[in-house]
Amino acid sequence: MKDLKELKKIEKFADQCMKCGFCSFFCPVYQEEKVETAVARGKNYLIKLALKGEQEFTEEMADIIGKCLLCKRCAANCPSKTQIDRVVVGARAQMVKDKGLGFIKDFAFRKVMSNRKAFGRYVKLAKAFQWMLPKTEGNIRHLPDFLKALGQGRHIPNLAKTFLRDMVKPVYKPVNGEKPKMRVGFFMGCATDFVYPELGLKLIDFLTKRGIEVVVPESQNCCGAAIYFSGDFETGRMLAEENIKAFEGVDYVVTACGTCSSTLKDYQKYLPDNEDQQKRYEAFEKKIKDSTEFVIDVMKIPPEDFKLRKEFEGKTATWHDPCHLIRYQNIKEQPRAILKALKGLKYVEMPNADMCCGMGGSFSVYHYDLTKKIADKKMDGIKATGADIVVTACPGCMINLIDNALRNKMTQKVYHFLELVE
Amino acid sequence: MLKESLVSEFQKIVGKENVLTTPEALKAYSYDGTTSWIHEPDCVVFPKTTQEISEIMKIANAEKIPVTPRGGGTNVSGGSVPWLGGVVLCTTKMNTILKIDKENLTATVEPGVVLQDLTLKLAKEGLFFPPDPQSFLGATLGGIIAENAGGPACVKYGVTKQYILGLEVVFPDGRIANFGGRTLKNVVGYDLLHIFVSSEGTLGVITKAELKLNPIPPAKKTIMAVYAEIAMAGESVFRVLENGVIPGKIELLDNWVINRIEEMMPMGLPKDADAVLLFECDGIPEAVEKETEKIVEITKKYGATDVRVAKDVDEANKYWMARKAGFAAVFGKAPTVMAEDVTVPRGKIPEFIKRCRDLSKKYDVEMCILGHAGDGNLHPAILSDIKNKDLYERALKAMDGIIEGAVEFGGVLSGEHGIGLEKQKFFRRTMDPVAVDLMMKIKALLDPNNIMNPGKIWD
Ligand SMILES: Cc1cc2nc3c(=O)[nH]c(=O)nc-3n(C[C@H](O)[C@H](O)[C@H](O)COP(=O)(O)OP(=O)(O)OC[C@H]3O[C@@H](n4cnc5c(N)ncnc54)[C@H](O)[C@@H]3O)c2cc1C
Ligand code: SF4
Ligand code: SF4
Ligand code: SF4
Repeated sequence: MKDLKELKKIEKFADQCMKCGFCSFFCPVYQEEKVETAVARGKNYLIKLALKGEQEFTEEMADIIGKCLLCKRCAANCPSKTQIDRVVVGARAQMVKDKGLGFIKDFAFRKVMSNRKAFGRYVKLAKAFQWMLPKTEGNIRHLPDFLKALGQGRHIPNLAKTFLRDMVKPVYKPVNGEKPKMRVGFFMGCATDFVYPELGLKLIDFLTKRGIEVVVPESQNCCGAAIYFSGDFETGRMLAEENIKAFEGVDYVVTACGTCSSTLKDYQKYLPDNEDQQKRYEAFEKKIKDSTEFVIDVMKIPPEDFKLRKEFEGKTATWHDPCHLIRYQNIKEQPRAILKALKGLKYVEMPNADMCCGMGGSFSVYHYDLTKKIADKKMDGIKATGADIVVTACPGCMINLIDNALRNKMTQKVYHFLELVE
Repeated sequence: MLKESLVSEFQKIVGKENVLTTPEALKAYSYDGTTSWIHEPDCVVFPKTTQEISEIMKIANAEKIPVTPRGGGTNVSGGSVPWLGGVVLCTTKMNTILKIDKENLTATVEPGVVLQDLTLKLAKEGLFFPPDPQSFLGATLGGIIAENAGGPACVKYGVTKQYILGLEVVFPDGRIANFGGRTLKNVVGYDLLHIFVSSEGTLGVITKAELKLNPIPPAKKTIMAVYAEIAMAGESVFRVLENGVIPGKIELLDNWVINRIEEMMPMGLPKDADAVLLFECDGIPEAVEKETEKIVEITKKYGATDVRVAKDVDEANKYWMARKAGFAAVFGKAPTVMAEDVTVPRGKIPEFIKRCRDLSKKYDVEMCILGHAGDGNLHPAILSDIKNKDLYERALKAMDGIIEGAVEFGGVLSGEHGIGLEKQKFFRRTMDPVAVDLMMKIKALLDPNNIMNPGKIWD
């Protein structure tokens, strides 16, 4: 009998599904493909067969369980509370265990590289970067999947002139010189580090101005989203251990990236292999706060105390819910409360605000055509609001929203909510 | 197995990407919303036009290959399971709302349009399509028509068949036919249109439908009545109606269901109650106010221990969410769930509920009851496990008892889910033999080679 350890771990989630088909309405991938293997119900069914030994991890299977944004829209709306995201990640982990990482990655990359359209996207992406970033030089040292894939085909453009990690100090004391109210660790994450360093500086500035000591441990590593979501639990665990160690002794860990915060919180769901790990990862989860939730729920800053930066005065804004905020962390009202309270800014809600932008981490690398179709629906929602700016809190989403807004020749600019406030 | 050459013929008709034959895809089209019926097709075809369907049917008919139409695959009778293999003809890519006619209150749709998509689009025009199967998020109009589906709103608004004005159908031999039209009244010849409503995909493929719409009522109110005794809830249903109030919906949840919902999503339902009834009144505001008062008065008079009127839309939504979650609550609780779909005349609801409870005791099986009480359509559900032989046998006996009970009280063995595979063994037992004979003749006339969804309805 084969060792199905990783699948066994998610068996109870897979068993929840009663095949009602409700998820078909919510799944952005199914909405484009309209075939049963794309929707949660179908994936879940096939994975259940794998559990029973009636379905092998064929290339077709790899493709099917790869074609999931992990946006969790199905799970959030599933009447039986089937957690298909966990089932899919568990299946990917089993696949990595059985076949090695190469199977998924090689397969995926082969597909990408042989797909001219997907390839074209990286060229576009590069353009998007140049458009929004200062001229850069140097090399990228470490990047999430989508950028890694970018690097496979062409010379990588330089991103930020100086990476955040080369700018930051290990400790920032409160600016007023008083005894710190609390000690907070800042988790950079790749996107903030390499693409949006100014966001990190902004967050540090924001916190230290309000009596908080911020530490930026040098030994912190990538959150691991792209890695453990593709089933590489071993590397994921290594990153988890490093990050947990790096942030010992702080009251909270704050990040400016919705994906990072949810990934750090979710170590406890996916990675523990024994009880000790389980406990430690759960303890770590309690410390993690996304910036949007930290300022409202922990710092308890009343929404009306936020000040809009001058350049945004008179603008109309709309909010895009990153999946990793709204569904993974239940953060929905906090950013809206701030945006609605900002004097000088008009807020409009977009239709389908909670729908995935189509990025899905490395999903967009492998399935760019689908990403575009899903993003087009998002863009329709944005256009319908007549807003000048789209605000969100995940650099991953920002990159994709910018790419697709440009592609759709839209005038809307995309910002992180931290960029809007003083 | 299907001949290679046929697969490539299908590919020529609908395009390569619209024919699936990988083992994984076939497995994904082997099931529907039921737990116990599974069978793989030989291929899955996604047509985009009526013409394509016609060509596919011609080939299938010549080769005598079974064709099973499929929409959302949400039926709970085994209806879209390709029981004898062959082709699954899936309409999910034919999902355009062709026309919404505000002047005549009609809509023209392709069969693969999902009900919720239609509802959202109609809402923008202030219109709605009254039949409301609770699977609206996944069910397609083709499937809804083929099953003559209905939901809570049927008490007041009736079922799907009352809202179908015209149909375009492809016959097994590839002929394309139109029945009915776009008028409310139509007495030109035999009413062939309605043979296809509730035909469960056994007579032809529905490729287009003309739907009758209603304007959205301007006001709504939700009432929850709590009962210490489920039979009293059953009585309240017909008491309300006999007192001249026809609410939009009357739904029943029993104690077991209430408690599972509370475990899943606590929302303050009365956990001690033996049952609750949910009412929704809709119409012009003044009428809704009056009807609400009347329902409160009557339910109190006939034994409700507590009656709550939802104070706002949020509270009302909460209750309806609970009702919607009811099904999930049941299905999530056992490996095999047999959800009944019997319908009894409304006056018999209390007696019928009592019968169900007796059967549950007699056969020592866990059973719960929820359903569209307003129209007598109840879904007693038996929790079982097909792998546990003894339990499964007892559950089957209890299920027989439920159906026999319903028929004894003057009811029918399916209110909305259809016969499919699930109810076959009861079909002849409860049906007039002359009617069965006539049905068989119609089937033979339209589908002489028996390729349309074979293996269903008839035992
Ligand atoms: C949670 C849940 C709740 C439900 N609630 C209700 C309810 O309240 N009321 C109710 O009535 N039902 C209910 N159902 C049952 C089911 O959703 C309905 O029967 C629905 O109408 C099926 O639609 P579908 O598109 O999924 O059809 P499918 O399941 O794909 O097919 C159903 C039948 O229709 C045939 N068919 C499909 N499309 C066509 C076509 N174009 N031409 C000819 N034949 C076709 C199929 O062959 C099959 O026999 C529920 C199911 C679930 C899972
Ligand atoms: S995953 Fe949930 S919503 Fe989808 S079919 Fe299963 S139970 Fe229904
Ligand atoms: S997580 Fe998102 S993409 Fe994946 S099955 Fe669910 S809804 Fe579809
Ligand atoms: S979220 Fe993405 S970019 Fe941020 S640290 Fe994780 S993998 Fe890197």
